[in-house]
Amino acid sequence: MNIVTRRDFIKQCGIGAGAIMTSTLWFDRLIAGSELPADLSLIRQKFGLRIEDIKKVLSLALTKGGDFSEIFFEYRISESVTMEEDIIKSSSESITLGIGIRVLKGQQIGYGYTNDMTIEKINQAALTAAAIAKGNSKIIAADLTVLKPKLQVYDLINPAHSQKIDTKIDMIKEAYQTAKNFDNRIVKVSASIADENQYIAVANSEGLMTFDTRPQVRLSVAATAADKGIKNTGSHSAGGRVGMNFYKNVKSPTEIGRRAAEEAIILLSAKNAPAGEMQVVLKNEQSGVMIHEAVGHPLEADANWKKQSIMWDKMGQMVSNPIVTIYDDATIPNYRGSLNIDDEGTPTENVMLIEKGKLVGFMNDRLAANIMKTKPNGHGRRETYQDVPIPRMNNTVLAPGDSDPKEIIESVKNGFYAVSYQGGQVSNTGKFTFSVNLGYLIEDGKITTPLKNATLIGTNTLILKEISMIGNDMGFFLGTCGKDGQSVSVTCGTPTLKINKMTVGGVV
Amino acid sequence: MKSSNESLLKIAEKLLSFGKSKGASQMQISIGKSQNFSVEIRNGEIERLQEAVSTGLALKVIVDKKVASASSSDLSVDTLEKLVDNAVARARYSSVDEFAELPELENINVNVDSLELFDPEVETITPDKKIEIALSLEKLGKADPRIQQSLGSYFGNSTGESFLVNSNGFSGSYRTSRCSSGVELQVGEGDNMYEDGWSDSSISYKGLMDNDEIAKKAIHRATRLIGAKKIGTQNVPVIFDQQMSASLLGFLASCLYGSSIYMNRSFLAGKLDTKIAGDNINIIDDGLMKAGFGTRPFDGEGVPTRIKAMIENGVLKNYLLDTYSSKKLKLKSTGNAGGTTNFYMKPGTKTPEEIIKSVDKGLYLVKTIGQGTVPTSGDYSKGAYGIWIEKGELTYPVAEITISGNLGKMLSNIEMIGNDLEFRRSIAAPTFKISEITISGK
Repeated sequence: MNIVTRRDFIKQCGIGAGAIMTSTLWFDRLIAGSELPADLSLIRQKFGLRIEDIKKVLSLALTKGGDFSEIFFEYRISESVTMEEDIIKSSSESITLGIGIRVLKGQQIGYGYTNDMTIEKINQAALTAAAIAKGNSKIIAADLTVLKPKLQVYDLINPAHSQKIDTKIDMIKEAYQTAKNFDNRIVKVSASIADENQYIAVANSEGLMTFDTRPQVRLSVAATAADKGIKNTGSHSAGGRVGMNFYKNVKSPTEIGRRAAEEAIILLSAKNAPAGEMQVVLKNEQSGVMIHEAVGHPLEADANWKKQSIMWDKMGQMVSNPIVTIYDDATIPNYRGSLNIDDEGTPTENVMLIEKGKLVGFMNDRLAANIMKTKPNGHGRRETYQDVPIPRMNNTVLAPGDSDPKEIIESVKNGFYAVSYQGGQVSNTGKFTFSVNLGYLIEDGKITTPLKNATLIGTNTLILKEISMIGNDMGFFLGTCGKDGQSVSVTCGTPTLKINKMTVGGVV
Repeated sequence: MKSSNESLLKIAEKLLSFGKSKGASQMQISIGKSQNFSVEIRNGEIERLQEAVSTGLALKVIVDKKVASASSSDLSVDTLEKLVDNAVARARYSSVDEFAELPELENINVNVDSLELFDPEVETITPDKKIEIALSLEKLGKADPRIQQSLGSYFGNSTGESFLVNSNGFSGSYRTSRCSSGVELQVGEGDNMYEDGWSDSSISYKGLMDNDEIAKKAIHRATRLIGAKKIGTQNVPVIFDQQMSASLLGFLASCLYGSSIYMNRSFLAGKLDTKIAGDNINIIDDGLMKAGFGTRPFDGEGVPTRIKAMIENGVLKNYLLDTYSSKKLKLKSTGNAGGTTNFYMKPGTKTPEEIIKSVDKGLYLVKTIGQGTVPTSGDYSKGAYGIWIEKGELTYPVAEITISGNLGKMLSNIEMIGNDLEFRRSIAAPTFKISEITISGK
């Protein structure tokens, strides 16, 4: 379980943009087809199935006595353009098309998938999944009722996937040039924009038939600085389930390029981090990676009903300092981890995890909810049709406190200030690390020397109790989280935090 | 797997002529097909059973020295032709790149069968047998009373075939097989829990490690962490066990990729033919090793793979290059489009026990957690688990510490190299000792 942050955050995206599906005339596009409808005609067109066929496949999957069957349909178009060494190097287009069929029998899962949309192959996948049960059954799936998601948390105005390629090229050029011209010690820059539109549909034997169309875009810059034999790379990116207006109104390509170059230049003068236990201040924005690792993963329901997580028996207990409140909210408009419905078709929710220090909730999927005798709360996600859904995070947030970030820094005599990260990792046992790309020394309440090459390490049950001050600021990073071999898009948000004692892994 | 081969090759060849007719100066198409099975067991029950066939196609077009690429899991002719159309049209928006070119046609002289990449027996194992293997593995893993619980065992197998054709006349394919099984265990109590396990993979069914041996390793690895303590911050010698030394070699490989070199994102850029490690360091990348996990007759562009010294007696001899990066660096492709092949450190003469004996006070590193590797600078920093060494003896386990250093310095400070090289992954190295690394703890 690890999270790869791409070192960035989004302040606010498309506030009040609301969820308006406009009937804009799409600009003439260079590539790919037009917007597809998110309804049964999509399934007909892309997967060759009618609603009565879907019911038949769902029923076939139940013939061995399974309790529940489900088909996940996925059609995804991704595009990217890359600039490197002053030229547009390449562009790519990628299509993912396939279905995954799942059968549940008690706590057991049977799974088959195919990217060959012939009815023989689809039936074969259904029978593969069916085989998790060993009996015979004549039960047929319920009639399907199309249910539209109630939420609409994506910015659908001016989406990236409907842009002409020259618009995207102009954007990465702007980001590239800003980084390149930032300082004459910047020697290499790469800039890219990647976007996708993922059409999904979920049908199950209980009669659910639902659809979702999910945009995602990200503009990334990496800048390498070299001077007097020292080299370092800084990077930055921004995006989410946003439209192109995000890059006009919230974060410009210029800003993204500047942040990457600035980090690379600061790193040139960075010293190796100190080593040992000390006070640590985590800057807002990217430090969300700690919340993701230390709190998020241990509170995913699968590790808890299986009694593998260190948190499984702590429900209702105080697990941290009472100033700490943490939730995972998939319904924040336009964020990278936001979803209307999860990958089992369940409407997403804002799930309170730790309320004023007390453990109150887990993020679950359908299976975990059944086993834990509660309701699914919309956190069942999968990377592609080839994967089974499992409980995952979306946008994990540590709620702001009342301390001025300046005050927090000033309260530290000698400590470490962590600013940007490569990522983090945690095990079920609550032991976690996060890898700092850039930090600073705090001396007598002041931020002084830039530091690099540090790993912060701790055990979540101990560190949560050591959080002593929480800032009144906030910030998010864009992440890609890996678990059980599946990567999904997430964000994580935190204000500036003070941790009384933590091990900083540096060099002496 | 057998009958569909021709049709996939035909799809690729047809698409190639379609691309040419649409204006592609050069074009490359690769297709991969695989059949996968896996069963996961937990607490004596099947937790998940999964089986599927999947196919994917990737293509690259070069139009007047301008590049575009595409990929798809939808192999219908309409979709593929549209992707080619789009790619040719999009390529016009790329800049002229004088280095963009497919490799010239080279003959593949190796007999693919002699590489032993495919074992037909893998396709004949019955699902019941696979389930039985995984069930028994978990049972063996849980047999030790110190094991709190099993996090699960699994058995998986896959067979696949890769095809590559390009407009320079290359056409090749090869089959691969793989089976693997493993078990993961949790030990300790309260807030002081640890987990570790063992898994093994093999190209042939017969080559897979016995369940008894896998379980024994998993139990040993998990239980040796029970009661781990945090130790003080200090600089000491650190012994990397086989997994840890291989993982460090993986970081080294990421610093040798041609793209990292021409983008100046490796501390080894510009260091070819210079001394970057101790005289005792010899690192090889061997694409032709019999039954090796990284073995393939040709790379992702149809360039023959080969055996080459990466580091010879401490001198950097080669980068890992594909056609594009080799042209950028005015070198020859090393047949590494798609990555390392079998990348390993040559063994030394000492037994791991002798290496441990040589340490008065230090760490035997067995597991790391976290990222913490920066190719641009060579900086290295990870969370660590290990066994503390006192007077040449392994004593108590340690945890919640970090180890930090710089790969450049670490390569020069490898003092003793073990004789225990084993090819259980495509990147492999024997146990070795690094003379001094900073441990951060209390």
